Amino acid sequence: MTDVPVAVITGAASGIGAACARLLRAAGWRTAGLDLNDSDTDLPVRLDVTDVGRVRAAVDAAADRFGRLDLMVTAAGYYEEGIDVAEISRAQWDRMLAVILGGTVNAFQAALPHLLRRGTGGLIAISSELALAGSATDLHYVAAKGAVLGLVKSLALEVAGTGIRVNAVAPGPTDTPLLAPESLWREPGYLATLPLRRLVTPEEVARTVYYLATEGVMYCGEVLSPNAGAVI
Amino acid sequence: MGDALVALVTGAAGGVGGAAARRLAADGHRVAVNDIAQEGRLRELAEEIGGVPVPGDIADPEATAAIVAEANKTLGPVQVLVANAADMAMSPFLEADPARWWRQVEVNLSGHFRLIQAVIGGMRALGHGRIIVIASGWGVIGHPNATAYAASKSGLIALTKGLGRELGPDGILANAIAPAFIDTEQLLVDAADAGISLEEMRQRYRDLIPVGQLAMTDDIAAAISFLASPGASGFVGQVLQPTGGVTRTRA
Repeated sequence: MTDVPVAVITGAASGIGAACARLLRAAGWRTAGLDLNDSDTDLPVRLDVTDVGRVRAAVDAAADRFGRLDLMVTAAGYYEEGIDVAEISRAQWDRMLAVILGGTVNAFQAALPHLLRRGTGGLIAISSELALAGSATDLHYVAAKGAVLGLVKSLALEVAGTGIRVNAVAPGPTDTPLLAPESLWREPGYLATLPLRRLVTPEEVARTVYYLATEGVMYCGEVLSPNAGAVI
Repeated sequence: MGDALVALVTGAAGGVGGAAARRLAADGHRVAVNDIAQEGRLRELAEEIGGVPVPGDIADPEATAAIVAEANKTLGPVQVLVANAADMAMSPFLEADPARWWRQVEVNLSGHFRLIQAVIGGMRALGHGRIIVIASGWGVIGHPNATAYAASKSGLIALTKGLGRELGPDGILANAIAPAFIDTEQLLVDAADAGISLEEMRQRYRDLIPVGQLAMTDDIAAAISFLASPGASGFVGQVLQPTGGVTRTRA
């Protein structure tokens, strides 16, 4: 058994996932990155998080390669905005739920047996402040991110007695490639309504994940929201 | 780790306040420690962490101004305020002594309201500041026989949210922490009230906590350290609840 803590991060190739991987590596962790693209991690694995078999194999491989598993961070996701509810197609709805909710379930189910074996560790889902406040014209995304919160709160209680902690980080609109240049959330008129007058940075989200992972033993099913004041 | 900051911690002679002062000092900050009494203990803490004791009753408007003035004079303008001091007296609502009821509101809510007023000027001049309010799980979900305490702590949460909105644009970030059961000296009081041993009291509380463990004062100090750190720069008006799940599950 090695002394070096190990994290698996989904969506590790860009945005919040990449920031989490960067910070954890800088802090001395070993990282595996599960993403459609190659990630700057110790073990990049290209896969689609909806593929439960490949997710399980990749998590097992990471635990095997690095000798243990301490943390799963689920940052994989995508965003679609500007769609009226009546226009959201069945395929768009299903895909969003499969990636954001299904991908989180797949990753948590793959990681949990490794954490249970050691009786410690964390599962951290990246949700969204939109799931706390609601939002127009991106209903499928918000519903999926909200479902992740229900999953987190319930799984947290299910494993509360085991020493494993399950929590969520629900960032405010974050400056990542998920937000298109013309996104509503980048408009100066919107940013002016935020108490901090700016988007959240991926590093701020990563710092929150790191705090939860290293000193968050008393958080059980909580939602931490670095959101620049978007939801208070 | 970021730059060294000047921090002021109220209620520092108690468990959470003392742990917060030690942690902030260990993080590299310069810390002024306040409490109403136990000046020997406060002085010892200040010596231990290389900080400055600024004793005084925060419910006294003149004292709050003096506390902040002393911290500002000796360490420089306060950049991090940890609003932790609290008074608590359990009593059925209809039997509550009005003086004891209002004393809790005076210390917990009004005292910190005035203390925050006193530090904002310096924070505004610097263009940054962190206000970290120690609220309570009882301020989130309520608690029988603790109406004054819960009301004062709920008030602090609403105050924090309002301050977050009002001061956020100035770079002053107000956030709160709402803990539940913590392993502090208060448990001795609770055990005496219940007529049981300290260890029996601990177990009684553990049985109420989904994760089956009491928060240690260092867990709350870690949350304070985080909210004071550069990494928490996206947090404003938030209420962290390191309660082991208590505030979402208790009937």
